[in-house]
Amino acid sequence: MRLFGKDVTTQKLLEVAKERLGARGLLPPSEDSGLADGVEPPVDAFAFAIEAMAEHVDVTRGLPIETHRDGLAGQAVVLAKRAFRRVGQLFINEALARQVVFNGHALDGYATLGAEVAKLREQVAGLEAALTKAQAPAAKAPVLKAPSAPKAPAEKPKRPRRPRTPPR
Amino acid sequence: MATFRVHQLVPNFRPGDAMGAAAIGFQRALRHLGFTGEVFAGEVAPGCEAIVHPIARLRVERDDLVLYHHGIASSLVAKLLHLPCRRGLVFHNITPARFYAGTRLAEPLVTGRAQLTALAGHVDVAIGVSRFNASELEAAGHRDVKVVPLLVEPERFAASEADATLLARLSRAGSPRVLAVSRVVPHKRVDDLLSLHQALKRIAPRAQLTVVGGYDAGQRAFKALKARADDLGQVTFLGKVTHAQLVAAYRSAELFVSMSEHEGLGVPLLEAFASEVPVLAFGAAAVPETMGGRGLVFDEKHFAALAEVAAQLVSDAPLRGALIAGQRERLRDFSLEAVADGLRAALPAPPPSRPRRSKRPRVAFVVQRFGEFIVGGAEAHARQVALALAPRVNVEVFTTCATDHLSWKNELPPGTSRDGPLTVHRFPASRFRNIRAFNRTSKEVFGTAQDLVAETRWLADQGPTAPALLDALVAARERFDAVAFFTYLYQPTVYGVPLLADRALVVPTAHDEPPLAFHLYADVFERPRALLCNTPEEEALIRARFPNAAPSSVVGVGVTPLPARPERFRDAFDLAGPYLLYVGRMEAGKGVAELLEFHQAMVRAFHDAPTLVLAGAGELKPKGARVLAVGRVDEQTKWDALSGALAVVVPSRYESLSLLALEAFAVGTPIIGHTAGAVVRGQLERSQGGAGYDDEASFLEAVRVVGERRGPLSKRARAYGAKHQWRNVIDAWLSAIERVREGVKR
Repeated sequence: MRLFGKDVTTQKLLEVAKERLGARGLLPPSEDSGLADGVEPPVDAFAFAIEAMAEHVDVTRGLPIETHRDGLAGQAVVLAKRAFRRVGQLFINEALARQVVFNGHALDGYATLGAEVAKLREQVAGLEAALTKAQAPAAKAPVLKAPSAPKAPAEKPKRPRRPRTPPR
Repeated sequence: MATFRVHQLVPNFRPGDAMGAAAIGFQRALRHLGFTGEVFAGEVAPGCEAIVHPIARLRVERDDLVLYHHGIASSLVAKLLHLPCRRGLVFHNITPARFYAGTRLAEPLVTGRAQLTALAGHVDVAIGVSRFNASELEAAGHRDVKVVPLLVEPERFAASEADATLLARLSRAGSPRVLAVSRVVPHKRVDDLLSLHQALKRIAPRAQLTVVGGYDAGQRAFKALKARADDLGQVTFLGKVTHAQLVAAYRSAELFVSMSEHEGLGVPLLEAFASEVPVLAFGAAAVPETMGGRGLVFDEKHFAALAEVAAQLVSDAPLRGALIAGQRERLRDFSLEAVADGLRAALPAPPPSRPRRSKRPRVAFVVQRFGEFIVGGAEAHARQVALALAPRVNVEVFTTCATDHLSWKNELPPGTSRDGPLTVHRFPASRFRNIRAFNRTSKEVFGTAQDLVAETRWLADQGPTAPALLDALVAARERFDAVAFFTYLYQPTVYGVPLLADRALVVPTAHDEPPLAFHLYADVFERPRALLCNTPEEEALIRARFPNAAPSSVVGVGVTPLPARPERFRDAFDLAGPYLLYVGRMEAGKGVAELLEFHQAMVRAFHDAPTLVLAGAGELKPKGARVLAVGRVDEQTKWDALSGALAVVVPSRYESLSLLALEAFAVGTPIIGHTAGAVVRGQLERSQGGAGYDDEASFLEAVRVVGERRGPLSKRARAYGAKHQWRNVIDAWLSAIERVREGVKR
């Protein structure tokens, strides 16, 4: 365990604590840090949305039963919810059948869009990389100039003579 | 200066909610930067409608910026993505879902993170309320992320703000007294607090642990915690508390401990800093950054060792002193100035302004009501000053459409009109006041310390709320050399002064009344260029309450009586014999009910008791023997009545000037004034032109004195009244305006 704080001598504070622990026959804390924290990894919006939609596509399936009530009232609420689901499940299925079908189509549509977006992003990234590569030498390569020799007057390139049409 | 509005969106708004409080804090800082804007929410808790509007009412223009506060999955993200204006994101962090695996909360937490990624590339401004949060935004694909701290006001955690009863009860408990402030939820690790308490009790058997924060009594996890706490003993779950009770909890504690394993910022740590309690906190997520090296951070939960450290922190006075001093210093990074600086760096720069300068000064007057129909009070004062200045200054008045200050109903048409030499711009009030409900709220709020949200709510409930007035004022700011705000009390002044602080003059008309204790009013008294007070008593009162108040001077008003004929008033109302006169609002707060009571006692005791004439309108409908209520009267009638009265009664305890007293003095009529208020007492002492009272017996005595000695009292009253000349007042105003003109950067 380590202590941090710039207004007091933390080392001394910890030493005293360790001494007292020793006197009481208790084990001192370790020398290592118990922290292993950093920023949370980002969640890919498209991938998560598809996964979450798939999880909930069947709206006839209930969420876990919960209540915030304490004691008997809480138990009664849980029992009532359970009973309602058991008795009413057939009717729930019937009432929400079309919604389940719709959700399936919505999920398919979204997944297709997601795939298209992913493909387009990949293409854009590839094009951007290619563009960067194409621009890089022109912008970055040092321009080396050879010592210039006096330029000879450029000869007019001779136009290759057109072969004569062989006489017939 | 700012020419676009900055609105804010929060998923839901209820008192005590951290994100809502952050939005209200940002709104205050934004006003200091010159930005107007409202707060909107997906869900608004009952009672908060005056300060937060439902999302359906959000209307934006292309250049406006909408800052969305994100802390969990919200349907507002979809709304934000399609707003036809500039968009911004304020990230408060999201608790990692691993703490809530298997519960219904897990999914909204992950969804919130997915929405964070989805917003990348679609917002113009990305703000983290800590560097830690900013790093998560960057990891989610946001670019050019800025850090803007949250507002923490140390003055709200002063010992004087604490609930005395709870403070005494908690302080009487054993020692060491350890406090934790957090909701009882998994990642806050209340179980670890109990483990520390257990370890601490081994070395200090009278140790106390107090946990402040909401909990779900029916939840299995809480029941287990409660059972363990009961076994250990000396553990108190206070639940949700009021602000004053929260301060009492902090102020009674000897040590604040946080075992939380995830914090995006950690506001309670900073509140503990402000309450001068040493802090010992587990260094998870943004906790070390929040503490900024102050207090003590540990990195391993070895409870026996932590108990030993805690015992030292409680018993070692120099150690505590060093920690508390360092913690206090850290709070500067969360001051209003720090928040405003952060926002300035994060927001798009406003387009450059084009100042106009004319030879003749231009001044805007801002007052909650305006017009000839107002008999007395600050509004009449504002009109008198405006008319007196008009020959030498271009005056434009910004006011509401209300004639009645109890309801603020829009009874006059909005738009621009003329009042003699004055240009008057009227704007509709956005909501009306229910005076009974407001009085109930006031009773709850007055006398105990409140947080910024509660004070802001009270201010908005009081009214008038006229956002269009503030928008117009900001848009027109460069037209004016100075902006004069009348009355410290109302929202147009409280919001308007920081918006135009570089050219603001305030005529506070302040008196010793409960709202003056609100910290929110620091914006009115500390931000403007100058305060133009009415009396030395008012100036002293302001300096005592706000030691950092802006430069002030006593300016007051002049009084020019109209030629009066007392018999005209007597004839008009069929009045015979001597009479006492009151002119002003018919309200209990003005002391009218008490005056009626004393007068009726006098009528019962004396057959020749003078009639009491009451002129003005309000919630009270005066009735009684020898009571004559004449309603609102015009200027000429008022002067006729004043000059013929035996004495003018000034029954209000809360006066910043008492124009009524000065008008009475000007026509040589003595006054009978309530001496509970310092201002009327001061006017009586300086003038020697009347008598004072503070109960029934002294009222009867004052009437007797005035009846017997009216001649000499009248002479002294007239001499004192003659000192209040308009030319002195105008000179003081012109010099204040000139100082502002010289100081405004052009």
